[in-house]
Amino acid sequence: MADASTASAVLARPGAATGKRGRLLLVLGVGMLMSMLVVTLFGPQIAPHSAIAFSPDSLAGPSAEHWLGTDSIGRDVLSRLIIGGRTTLLITFVAVSLAVAAGLVLGLTSGYVGGMTDEIIMRALDVVFAFPVFLLAIAVVAALGPTVPNLILTIAIVYTPTMARVVRGPVLSVKRWDHVEAARSVGVGEFRIATRHVLPMVVSPILVQTSLTLANTIFTVTALSFLGIGPPPPDPNWGGMLSEARQFMELAPLTVIGPACAIVFATLTFIVLANGLREWLDVGSR
Amino acid sequence: MTRVLLVRLAWMVPILFGVSLVAFTLMRALPGDFAQAAAGTADVSPEALDAIRRELGLDRPIWEQYLHWLGQIAVGDFGTSFVTDKPVLGELLPRLAVTFELTLLAGTMAMLLGASSGLASARFRGRTDWVVRGFNGLLLAIPNFVVATLIVLLAGLYFPEVGIFNYVPFLEDPIGNLGSMLLPALSLALAVSVTISENTRAAVLEVASQDFVMVARAKGLHSGAVLRDYLVRNALTPVITVTGLQLAQLLGGSILIETIFTIPGMGQYLFDSITSRDYPVIQAIVLVAAVIVLLVNVLVDVAYARADARVSYG
Repeated sequence: MADASTASAVLARPGAATGKRGRLLLVLGVGMLMSMLVVTLFGPQIAPHSAIAFSPDSLAGPSAEHWLGTDSIGRDVLSRLIIGGRTTLLITFVAVSLAVAAGLVLGLTSGYVGGMTDEIIMRALDVVFAFPVFLLAIAVVAALGPTVPNLILTIAIVYTPTMARVVRGPVLSVKRWDHVEAARSVGVGEFRIATRHVLPMVVSPILVQTSLTLANTIFTVTALSFLGIGPPPPDPNWGGMLSEARQFMELAPLTVIGPACAIVFATLTFIVLANGLREWLDVGSR
Repeated sequence: MTRVLLVRLAWMVPILFGVSLVAFTLMRALPGDFAQAAAGTADVSPEALDAIRRELGLDRPIWEQYLHWLGQIAVGDFGTSFVTDKPVLGELLPRLAVTFELTLLAGTMAMLLGASSGLASARFRGRTDWVVRGFNGLLLAIPNFVVATLIVLLAGLYFPEVGIFNYVPFLEDPIGNLGSMLLPALSLALAVSVTISENTRAAVLEVASQDFVMVARAKGLHSGAVLRDYLVRNALTPVITVTGLQLAQLLGGSILIETIFTIPGMGQYLFDSITSRDYPVIQAIVLVAAVIVLLVNVLVDVAYARADARVSYG
């Protein structure tokens, strides 16, 4: 669980080499992301076996046939990891896109319009902030029922307040800049000023926060699945695989280590990406 | 100081109101029927369901139900568990104590680990800094439930004689209890310690660059004394704040950790209640957790204002 202040501070090092380091991290992050996307997008073609078909060959160790062995009902672990990434990443990307869109609208409205509107939106978001994110996610999923659309909705809800705050902060100062005044004086409409003259100035922190939210979402999605309120079976997902494998993990450690590595790799990808973006775009440098 | 506290507490009223509204709406917006869940899984006649609805007041307007529910909570009545038919509060309190212990242990561990590694990182720079921060980056990417699962796996593979699922109540055997809480608290503490470590490091580096530290050095103060009296003292303020704000994460994480290590705390209670659709319990836990987080946030704010004379809430 990475929060903004931590993750952006980790790996960051003050100094002149910042720009170069940023680019390096960014290239590394993009590379990790691309490899993850390629493997998941072409999952059905890449996976050596079916992800849901079981066989009598259960809890087998690694072999040429099953690189990561098989699980308790003889399903190929590697194939399940590849296919399981599809569900996990689909939920993550769609949910975070929704949270970013909602956060943009709320944060921009709140920061740009100001006054009473700002007060109402921020106090409403304070209410959502009062709940521990993961607890709120559990409660919402439990209330709505664990289906893929509901998981997406839940995660979008719990991460919207953070996005809105990240957008609002810089908007508050940018709206007082001269170019905004200049645009207003030549008769540009308020909506156009907000979207064309203010929004582009605050893109950097939003990009960084988006990447951090992606990392956090990987945690939330896999943790919910781990508790058994993730996407419904039989489609595999990383959190569910980890949870199922616990029962026999001493007999087949790879059934646990496989999904654990997948979760860590995905989280690391977005943290590296966030730090690369942060240094490259020079957001909140210390 | 009293004024600060009063203003902060006054702000809590509307927020608490909103929190209660969310907790109430969540459980009434269920796909299934609240009365059906109350009746359990057994087949019940429509007449019996109607009787349950009348008993729980589900036939009244929704705002009236909300006010009634709120009024009951105000006097400490969180309703009756669908599963055990006992008052929720009585079942919740002992479990809350267990979670409190776990959170406290994890928080202490995280603070010790985080503050010392952050301090070392800022003090020695160079290789120490590099190692600490590399380690932090890695820890940040490993979710606590993965850490816990891997700990259980390693213990099972290499130390099968250590019983890690043997939770011992504190009142029965305090030493054994602490022993059984050690690994769960550690898995919970690691990710939080990263946040504390990074913040300690940043705070120490920032304080170190200020004029009064340079003056202290210039007048010939021993570097150990500078560290103790100037750096650590001044850097500690933001660190305390950060630690307090991590409570929400610890509470959320305890759900996973308690489930993995089978510790009978609030988290496991919530997990069980979700499995058995025991809505009054879910509602109570969500509400209690939010109130705890709110209260701690206020305390952190006040402690921060008290520790740092420059902060004022005018």
